[in-house]
Amino acid sequence: MTAEKFILLVEDNELNRDMMVRRLNRAGLKVITAGNGQQALDMMQAEQPSIVLMDMNLPILDGWAASRRAKEDERIRHIPIIALTAHATETYKQYALAAGCDGYATKPVDFPALLITIKRLALA
Amino acid sequence: MSLRRQLTLSLITILILFAVNVGTHFWGSYARGESMVAYRNSVTATQLSTEVEQLLEDQRQQILILATLRETTDDQLGDAELQRAEEAIEKINSKIQKLGRLSHSVTELNYELLWNKSSALLKRWLKFYRSYNDPNIEMDMNDPLRFMDVSQSLQDLEERQAFIAAQRANIIDRTIALTDRITVIAFFASIFLTATLGYFLVSYTNTSFKRLKKGTERFGSGDLDYRITDIDDTGELGDLADAFNDMSDKLRNAIYDVHKARDAADEANEAKSMFLANVSHELRTPLNAIIGYSEMLHDELGDKHEINRAQFQQDLDTIIKSGRQLLNLIDDILDLSKIETGNMSLHCETFEPAALLLEAFDVLAPLLRNNSNELRRELGELPTFNNDAAKFRQIFTNLLSNANKFTDAGIITVSARELPVNPEWVEFTVHDTGIGMTSEQLSRVFDAFVQADSSTSATYGGTGLGLAICRDFCTLMGGSISAESKSGVGSTFTVILPSDPA
Repeated sequence: MTAEKFILLVEDNELNRDMMVRRLNRAGLKVITAGNGQQALDMMQAEQPSIVLMDMNLPILDGWAASRRAKEDERIRHIPIIALTAHATETYKQYALAAGCDGYATKPVDFPALLITIKRLALA
Repeated sequence: MSLRRQLTLSLITILILFAVNVGTHFWGSYARGESMVAYRNSVTATQLSTEVEQLLEDQRQQILILATLRETTDDQLGDAELQRAEEAIEKINSKIQKLGRLSHSVTELNYELLWNKSSALLKRWLKFYRSYNDPNIEMDMNDPLRFMDVSQSLQDLEERQAFIAAQRANIIDRTIALTDRITVIAFFASIFLTATLGYFLVSYTNTSFKRLKKGTERFGSGDLDYRITDIDDTGELGDLADAFNDMSDKLRNAIYDVHKARDAADEANEAKSMFLANVSHELRTPLNAIIGYSEMLHDELGDKHEINRAQFQQDLDTIIKSGRQLLNLIDDILDLSKIETGNMSLHCETFEPAALLLEAFDVLAPLLRNNSNELRRELGELPTFNNDAAKFRQIFTNLLSNANKFTDAGIITVSARELPVNPEWVEFTVHDTGIGMTSEQLSRVFDAFVQADSSTSATYGGTGLGLAICRDFCTLMGGSISAESKSGVGSTFTVILPSDPA
């Protein structure tokens, strides 16, 4: 992999997407975005991002299904996925981990903690 | 046959056997008594005959002696002697008469013969005595044949009586034997009958009771589909079995009700948990924007380089917008919670529905313009309402903003008309030419927190509670709401409300 590391942010809510992109950029991270699960899978294959931040409630293909498929696909299986969801209960966390997600963060996002997780999983 | 009838029947049978025994005893006593009298008479008659025979013999000896004396001497009879002789003959006569009274239909003939012959003999003897002192009258008393005749008759009668006595004794023996036999037979018959009845009763009730016991045990262990059968008894045990079966039915129904109630409670609990999880999710979405943007702006303020004021203001607007959305959401959640706990009440007042609809159109006009939608109204003659005006306004504001939200450069038609069957009721429809819904989405459209697609809230906004609130408001106001839709063609919401909910 080249030195150029970047994040794929999957988020269908325009405000949240704008906010996350700007904050990640400010932290010095390069970000590309997708609006639904299917688009995310396509971009993971095409762009090979270093890490994926995946919202779970997504149109067309939701985050759980997209994560499962990503982990079944040999070409993109290695890319770590962090689930990003407003579902705060333990059950949903288990759902996300069962779907193959490597990390889990609830909204509203604890941004410093999220940065640490991103660095641990992809930028170390 | 019922248990009581069986017991009654057994009791009656035993009583009848008992009565037969007692009856036999009395009949035996009576028959024995009868025969005893006859026997005693016969024995007495036999003794009397012997006595008469002896007297006759004595008298004859005396007469023979007197006759010899009369021939050989001039013997005269004194008055006293004559009287004594007459008395003796009279005594014989009376004894023979007594014998006649002891006589029996069977010995009647023998007695009559004796009576005739003895009467003749005694008359002759009497005549002898009376004419004894008159020598002119010749009397030959030595005629043994005549006496023998009487004697023979007497013996015949005696034999006859003895025979009858023996016969009677025999009858008495036979009667005693017969009554004994009947008593013994009736005794053993009643023992046998009692034992048999007892056996059948015990074995029959035992079987029934065992079945009842088994049934109650099965019921007790929870098998309420079990039925006590084969109790071929229309009486107490059958009734008891039926009562047990009924009880099992009722228990099963009660348990079914309890299970249903528990399931409903579980479901309600589940729904509550889901609701809370959903509330948490919905609250976090705008909060994410508020906190995220605030933190970002805070960081930007700390930066050294120049702040983009226009961008800064836009971000602040986003925070405010998200805050207001959060407030709306909280209001909606409170409304829904109030409705579902039964704390939402109607505040009825008089209003013109058409006027309130027009107000709502004015309020929503800017939004309609934003989406380039055209509003058409088809309002007929409507009755004056006495219902909750605030809820009425909220229902149609929600429906119209929904229609506008999901329609772009289309037509939204609002119509209202009295129901032909009942002019006290009005049918309102809000029709749009928007994106519509699939049948799956349509089936859940009135559920809380459900938007046709999770992306819709992002694209179109809204809390996902509006239609749930509309549905509950319509119900509260005494009416109903329904929806029809076709994906890509549009949706129609129909509200039917009474002018007065009372």
